Amino acid sequence: MIKIENLTKKYSKQTVLDILSLEIPSGQTFGLIGNNGAGKTTLFSCLLDLIKPTKGKVINNDVEVSSSEDWKSFTTAFLDETFLIGYLMPEEYFYFIGELRGLSKIQVDNFVLQFEDFFHGEILGGKKYLRDLSKGNQKKVGVIAALIGEPKVIILDEPFANLDPSTQIKLKEIIKDLSRYKDTTVLVSSHDIQDVTEVCDRIVLLEKGKLIKDIKTNKETLKELEAYFKG
Amino acid sequence: MYISSMFKLMFGLQWKEFNRGKAVGGKLVGKIFKWFGIIYFAFMAFLMGIIASSYGGPLAEFPLKEDSVAPFLYVNKQLIYVFAYLIVMRYFIQSLPVLNIKALLLTPLLKTKIVRFSLLKTVLTYFNILPLFFLIPFSFLLAQTGKFDVIGLIFWNINIIGLIYVTNFFNFLLNNKDKLLYTIGGVLALIKALEYYSIVDFTEYSEQFFYLFYSAPYATTTTWLLVFWLYDYVKKYLLGGLHIDTGLQVKIKEAKVDDFSFLDRFGKTATFIKNDLRLLKRSKRARTAVYMGIGFLFYGLIFASQEGTYSELAGDGFASAGSFFGYLFSTGGFLFMFGSFVPSWDSQYYPLMMTQNIEYKEYLNSKWSLMVIGALISTVLASFIYSFFGVNAVYAVLAGAFYNIGVNGYLTLWAGAYTKSPIDLNSSANAFGDKKAFNAKTMLVGIPQILLPVLVYSFTSQYYDHFTGCLAVAALGTLGILLKPIAFNLIMKAYKTEKYSTLKAYKTN
Repeated sequence: MIKIENLTKKYSKQTVLDILSLEIPSGQTFGLIGNNGAGKTTLFSCLLDLIKPTKGKVINNDVEVSSSEDWKSFTTAFLDETFLIGYLMPEEYFYFIGELRGLSKIQVDNFVLQFEDFFHGEILGGKKYLRDLSKGNQKKVGVIAALIGEPKVIILDEPFANLDPSTQIKLKEIIKDLSRYKDTTVLVSSHDIQDVTEVCDRIVLLEKGKLIKDIKTNKETLKELEAYFKG
Repeated sequence: MYISSMFKLMFGLQWKEFNRGKAVGGKLVGKIFKWFGIIYFAFMAFLMGIIASSYGGPLAEFPLKEDSVAPFLYVNKQLIYVFAYLIVMRYFIQSLPVLNIKALLLTPLLKTKIVRFSLLKTVLTYFNILPLFFLIPFSFLLAQTGKFDVIGLIFWNINIIGLIYVTNFFNFLLNNKDKLLYTIGGVLALIKALEYYSIVDFTEYSEQFFYLFYSAPYATTTTWLLVFWLYDYVKKYLLGGLHIDTGLQVKIKEAKVDDFSFLDRFGKTATFIKNDLRLLKRSKRARTAVYMGIGFLFYGLIFASQEGTYSELAGDGFASAGSFFGYLFSTGGFLFMFGSFVPSWDSQYYPLMMTQNIEYKEYLNSKWSLMVIGALISTVLASFIYSFFGVNAVYAVLAGAFYNIGVNGYLTLWAGAYTKSPIDLNSSANAFGDKKAFNAKTMLVGIPQILLPVLVYSFTSQYYDHFTGCLAVAALGTLGILLKPIAFNLIMKAYKTEKYSTLKAYKTN
């Protein structure tokens, strides 16, 4: 379970994040939606201790993220290309991440192999470094690397953007399976209301750093969100 | 009107690129370094122009006879190498304005205009201006002697400038054609070899060739005809390549697997060392650290070979302190060059590093281990090189190595926590554009890094002898090695407190 208490982030006078309280139970697929500047990435960065909040705290499975580093052993993330090491080949990158999470090369090979379909033959066994892959393929590598080592919490920022339709559909299946079979908490952000409603059990709408809506996904959710964003 | 305003627009774009370019980072220090480099090389060229005007080459009698034309002939002799060097330097350093063209392709500018602009803009690059700093004082001083035909000298200059532009446009054709460059390199090596074994001396031909433009000024026209022909040819060549899948494509190197699994026995430290080895192998920018480390190996030679001269000038004590300084650097080159950019090497994926299941200790230990490995290899090589200067030199090298490993390793890592300049691994380091990591702490750390061991050595060797001096410095280093856990705790604290601002600095740049 992830607990957020009284979390605020201010840059000089501008408040970019202000969340009183939010609890995300284990195994939930949690969607974050909002326009540009709503604070989605800031929230994720606070969860990962990449940004120091002005006030408040984040507790990830009983670990307060800014004071202990123990959360790192069960949390993974892919926010953007700064999570990729450009001079490595995809396989080398997977091995590197695997080694950090205590997996052997063979274990990593076996794990990655189940996503062969997802990679569409463009990632494994190629002769390119990550820096030379297309944006979409880079994202595929980053997202799959975040799944290595059976983490309890996975944070993905805009995982569906830049992906081709078939890959989007496959990725949605992968994310749904995570909570269905493995009790993994998955946090996903998106600009696309259709994507999040399809994938997530619960959707939180942010606007200028504030929590506006907290919806348990149902048949009406898509319409409700559409109505909101129409203004 | 239309053309001139268009030109202004494009020139403005260029100026902004120069000032806000990523390599310079828009930071004042970076700009100062860039300008400092530019002025430094201009000044050196100027100085060389003055010196060359009264220098007749190694075989000439010195001082030169009053009526000697030796300096002029000597320069003409060497010009063949100057131009060869210019071609190679341009190939490696002068970047061609390819990338910016892309954004202009869809604007209502004629393609010919875009190409013409990118070609003309290279006319004023530094490589073309720098030689003038040599040519002008050189020719002026020659003309002053009154032994030279001024018209001939002027045309000789015009011819050389023409040849400089030949290399300028030739560089466009060379771009990304490694094979062609290697061919040129091979031919040059052959020329030099033929000259060395005195089979054919090409400098003789070089002298005759370049002298021709002085004795027969009208010959200069051919050079300039060549310039204009080449300009036209390159223009057509570029026009044909204005598609993103042809001329504008950035070449991608085929990736190769590097297996470093033999390192696996060192546990988690090895995980990072493997990555760093790949970094050193695959990123041009990182490779420079290795090259500079190799270069520094020979740094001590400057002092060691001059020891006699220095002792005469400033006394024995000063001379030996100077060479001790040199030896210190010869074993620490790689350690400094790699270490002072930790963690900047990982700047492009620092958020990844900060969210992985990694402890700072393991991360820092791996960097430190790599630095120490580099220092050890340097020490073995340096001990060999300086063994030619006697056993005392080897003592000094070893003492320096102890100090570098035991003290300077930590200090460099510690200062690294405060160096927040990101490194763009994907671009090759540009000689003038690379921003040095530079701040007050890095400067301050230089005192215990370099000054302290030199002082300790000087004092002890003054009171006792050379060997005791070396021993004292080595003892400091050994103490440092023993205190590793304490030193690492302090460094870790620094990295932890700086974490957020480092992340921010890497992101905004």
